[in-house]
Amino acid sequence: MSATEFKDGLIKEIPNLRAFAASLSGSMQLADDLVQDTLLKAWGNSEKFEPGTSLRAWLFTILRNTYYSLYRKRGREVQDSEGTYAERMATHGNQESHLDLADFRKALAKLPEEQREVLIMVGATGLSYEETAEICGVAIGTIKSRVNRARTKLAELLSIGSIDDLGPDRKSAAAMQRVGSEIVGL
Amino acid sequence: MNDAGMAMDDSDGRGGTGSELMLDPKVQESIGRSLKAHYDDIVNAPVPDKFLVLLAQLEATEYRAVGASPDERN
Repeated sequence: MSATEFKDGLIKEIPNLRAFAASLSGSMQLADDLVQDTLLKAWGNSEKFEPGTSLRAWLFTILRNTYYSLYRKRGREVQDSEGTYAERMATHGNQESHLDLADFRKALAKLPEEQREVLIMVGATGLSYEETAEICGVAIGTIKSRVNRARTKLAELLSIGSIDDLGPDRKSAAAMQRVGSEIVGL
Repeated sequence: MNDAGMAMDDSDGRGGTGSELMLDPKVQESIGRSLKAHYDDIVNAPVPDKFLVLLAQLEATEYRAVGASPDERN
C-alpha cells in the first residue's frame, strides 16, 4: 500500500474517528486531539496494518488505547465543566427520534465507559460484535452482555418504558422495573 | 443479589443471551435510533482542515524521505 493510498484510507475514516472519540470522551475538543494522536500513531505504524482487514477496526483500536492511556482523566475534568459538548454538537442534526439529541447525549455520558463504548461500536459504527470484541479484548458474550446492560441503563436514565408514546405493555413495564431495581443493586 | 442479577453480570465473560432480561423491542428501537442520530450527527459534521493538512504533511515527508514524488511511486 502506498503512502497515498494509506492517507486516503485515513481521510475516509476521520468522520467515524471523531464520532467515536466524542462518544468516548464526551467532548468535541478532546475528541479532535484524540483523533490527531490516532492519525499520527497510525501513520507511524502503518506497516503493522494488514491490507484487506478493516482499517476502521484497526484505527478504533489505536484510538481506544490512546484514550484509556492518556485521555480518560482529562475527559472527566472537561465533563465537569459540562455543556460544551451537548450544546455545540446539537446544532447539526434534524432529529426525528422521540428523544431529544442533547438529552440522549447527557444520558449516554452517564453510562459506565465500558458499556458506552460497546453500545456505540455495535449500535452506530457498523462494526460487528466480533470486531468489537477484538477491539476491546474481551469475549463476544461479554460484549452482548454489556450492550444489554447499556440499553437497560439508558432506558432507565431516559425514563422510557414509562412514556406513553413508546407504549410498552404491562409485561415489559414490569420487566423494566425488575431490571431497574437490579441495576441499583449492582 | 438474586439469580436474575447474576445473569446481568458479565464478569465471567459468558454473558449468554438466554437468561437475560430484554427490553421492550420498541424501547430498543428508540435507543437505536437515538444512537445513530447522535453518531451520524458528528459523522456528517465538516472535518476540520487541520487533519487534512496534517496528513498531507506526513505524506510529503514520507515521499521526501524515500526520494520520490507521489507520481513516481504510483
